Amino acid sequence: MLKNVNQRIAIVLALISIIYLILSYQLPTYPYIPVDADAIPKALGWLLLVLSVGLFFSKDRDSEEQKARRRIPKKDVISLLVVFVLVFLYITLFEALGFILTTILFVFTCTWYLGYKKHLVNAIVSIVFPVALYSIFVYLLQIRLPAGILPF
Amino acid sequence: MGALDGIATGFQVALSFEGIMFVLIGVFVGTFIGMLPGLGPISAIAIMIPITYGMDPTLALVMMAGVYYGAVFGGSTSSILLNAPGISGTVASAFDGYPMAQQGKAGKALAIAAISSFAGGTISVILLMIFAPMLASVAISFGPPAYFALMLLGLSAIASLSEGSTIKATISAVVGFMIATIGIDPQTGTSRFSFGSANLLDGIDFLVIALGLFAIAEVCYLIMNRKKKSIGSAKEIGSLKLSKKDFKEMSGPAGRQSFLGFILGILPGAGATIASFISYITEKKIAKKPEEFGKGSIKGLAAPEASNNAATSGAFVPLLSLGIPGSGTTAVMLGAFLVLGLQPGPMLMTDRPEVFWGIIASMYIGNIFLLILNLPLIPYIARLLTIPRPMLISLVIMFSFIGVYAISFSTFDLYLLLAFGVIGLLMRMFAFPAPPFILAFILGGMMEQSFRQSMTISDGSLSIFFTNNISLVLIIVSVLSFVFPLVQAIRTRKKEKAEA
Amino acid sequence: MKKFLAISLFILLLGFLAACGGEEAEETQAESEDSEESADNNESADSGSDGEWAPEQNIEMVAPAGAGGGWDTTARMAAQVLNEEGIIDQSIGVVNKEGAGGAIGWSYIANQEGNPHHLFVSSSPILLVPLNGQSDHGHEDFTPIANVIADYGAFAVREDAEWENLNELFEQMKEDPSSVTVVGTSSPGSMDHIQFVRFAKAAGVDITKIKYVSAPDAEGITQLLNGSADVFSTGVGEVVEQVRAGEIRVLGVTAEERLEGEVMSEFPTAKEQGIDEVFINWRGFFGPAGMTDAQVAYYEEKLKELSDSEAFADIRSNYGWNEMFMGSEEYQQFLDEEKENLKGLLEELDLLAE
Repeated sequence: MLKNVNQRIAIVLALISIIYLILSYQLPTYPYIPVDADAIPKALGWLLLVLSVGLFFSKDRDSEEQKARRRIPKKDVISLLVVFVLVFLYITLFEALGFILTTILFVFTCTWYLGYKKHLVNAIVSIVFPVALYSIFVYLLQIRLPAGILPF
Repeated sequence: MGALDGIATGFQVALSFEGIMFVLIGVFVGTFIGMLPGLGPISAIAIMIPITYGMDPTLALVMMAGVYYGAVFGGSTSSILLNAPGISGTVASAFDGYPMAQQGKAGKALAIAAISSFAGGTISVILLMIFAPMLASVAISFGPPAYFALMLLGLSAIASLSEGSTIKATISAVVGFMIATIGIDPQTGTSRFSFGSANLLDGIDFLVIALGLFAIAEVCYLIMNRKKKSIGSAKEIGSLKLSKKDFKEMSGPAGRQSFLGFILGILPGAGATIASFISYITEKKIAKKPEEFGKGSIKGLAAPEASNNAATSGAFVPLLSLGIPGSGTTAVMLGAFLVLGLQPGPMLMTDRPEVFWGIIASMYIGNIFLLILNLPLIPYIARLLTIPRPMLISLVIMFSFIGVYAISFSTFDLYLLLAFGVIGLLMRMFAFPAPPFILAFILGGMMEQSFRQSMTISDGSLSIFFTNNISLVLIIVSVLSFVFPLVQAIRTRKKEKAEA
Repeated sequence: MKKFLAISLFILLLGFLAACGGEEAEETQAESEDSEESADNNESADSGSDGEWAPEQNIEMVAPAGAGGGWDTTARMAAQVLNEEGIIDQSIGVVNKEGAGGAIGWSYIANQEGNPHHLFVSSSPILLVPLNGQSDHGHEDFTPIANVIADYGAFAVREDAEWENLNELFEQMKEDPSSVTVVGTSSPGSMDHIQFVRFAKAAGVDITKIKYVSAPDAEGITQLLNGSADVFSTGVGEVVEQVRAGEIRVLGVTAEERLEGEVMSEFPTAKEQGIDEVFINWRGFFGPAGMTDAQVAYYEEKLKELSDSEAFADIRSNYGWNEMFMGSEEYQQFLDEEKENLKGLLEELDLLAE
């Protein structure tokens, strides 16, 4: 069946283009203009649909190099996922806890998880960098980063 | 007052003690802010405006101009070292700069960028000085049809921006264009694909996409390869030794692209981004070994760097001679003029020659300062790459976060950043090139607008694109640049067949 | 060692610069500590609803647009005068909430309901943008405090254009509306478009047939100069320099009477050409919903002081703005009427959001 990776991608892209087209056809119209807001999106949607059909039937196959790129060892998939979860938590707590706290926690945990063994150096870096950057942004450049629960 | 007198007045301002001091402060602050994650010239200038209250207008503007080109000068650093372009003008610098840094030649890459930037800055200031009064008419010569054709020319380069499959490159570009259609459409005011979210009304910010597709996707690969030894010794990485051959190789592109960048920079709305892309592409097209591009080619780095800095001086032409801001950055510059009680416009040159020429003359000095300031710092900056991988990964994520947060001050964009990181990773895994995506994202929006503006003007007739001289020429060039490689490919294939 | 030196140099320089800009802020902060005490006293004194009120912390002034534009300049200049002249002791910081014609800034303020330490600047778009359906928040969702400035629109053509006055232009548009292209910075249904439509309608032009091109990022003047468009509909301040240079002419301004100023006084009003219509781009200050009467009264009084101050008069003449003060109640009424007016126009243009 769909042994070829490109064919599977083509189906996903075709689905995307169909959703995009449905949305484009629902755009409100404005009568007094020759080319309305929906014209270009419709064209792009159809173009992507045609291209995905083209990709489905295209002859080009993956080279060995590309296949190697995709082969991610299970261990790495897990570490990627863990980092993603960390980043997700980082964003979620970013405004509530404030830039300094979340960043210290994130930088330390993430560096530690990825296998850095010198914990003292790690602790120093993960405290000094966020505090220094925070002061530069907030006090020198007057760009407000979330202060969160800390008083400054 | 003649131009010569004007130039003399300008140098009097620029070479006075205060003049030199303020240029120095300007370029210093500019490069520093430019190197910070996510802060480009726009924020740099906006940050500095309150400081100029009550200052002498000429000196204040000399300083602000320094902040502007200083920020562009420093902006390429994060592109080259971390694959994290902070402003759109430096995306193309990452194409070859980052691979070069990964090969352990970070110092060299930064040095090439600095010297090319210097060349671009200096050559373009000379052009600015000689031609500024005359070029005003060039700046306004582009109507909507001509802009459409220029964007088309930029997009015609998609195929040449990618290795391998053309169909995948085209798909990348189409999706990038689709992303550009999100938000309020200026021609009708219709909000498109924003799903009722106020965060999407203004579209997705360039930085979110650039940092997601380039920096975060790169971080994913770093995570997988984190056990590999980091590249080279600190000394090697920091070395900025350039051989005679290196100089020879970069001099061509840096020289040529300074001119091209300057001309494109003059056009309001085109600016440094388009200039750097078009310069990169032209150098690749005329290179003897185009296959080296994208793998750490000196030419591929020198071209966009010379070009984006030259475009920055070009942007001063419409601003100083017409009072028309050609980009978001020069619009903020215009704000700085107003704050200081000056009204930039066609009369500025006659009313306040010391301001007009003072800014231009100070740019010579500013560029020299930039080179002197930056070269000695390169070895230290380049050592960033010797930071152990696990820590580098965490820090790059942190930097990208600050950059994105500082534009919108909402965590919504941070989630988007993460999403584009995942998209970038998938694109790499399945061999969809990222450069066409970002190019189409940048050009697509402008292309759609200028297309529809033209259609409104012509009442829906396409002939408008062929009756305007500039657009006609540009359309012919873009068709040729699209057809020519195809013909070449067919020819070589035929030859191969004949030989076989 | 060298490294250390370089870095400390960096920081020193930045610190020096920041000190230059920050001095005033610090001073006001020191002062504000005193007033904070008095504010506390006040509060304990008036636990009732109709007493005096004064801000207890720093005030955030939001410009719902990017740096450099009209809203931003108004916010920054007002903040500067309010602090420098000691009208308000608490330090006022300007924050840019850019995007979507103001909608992003407004939705930010809407989330600050009942917090009297946030103010923002707005003008006509706060009526128009929600009518277009591009913002969930209109002036009804906020507390109008005071209007301070009036700005007027101008209709400019190239120096060599065939029309000598507005009537000639509108006569031609009545015969052949598609022969004239109008350019403005904002999208259809927003300010530049609507001000032109209003006058065209008053002159009897079929307003559904007007060719309007929206050219963001200051391209409008470029399009006028290179001949892509014929009429540029914009603010008076945007055209003065080009008129002075003899590149363009102003056919009419939207003000009731002729404006003051060297160049501006030469611009004819539409009214004196027999077109009975006026368009004011008013600009004023709003607070979030749910402010108490005492809070409104406090800001109203302070803004009146601002409007009457000499420092602000200088700023007005620098930027070519006119004085137009309206207190909270009058402002509210004005806004309601204006919105009804605009609603009718947009309906006719089919631009009204359902």
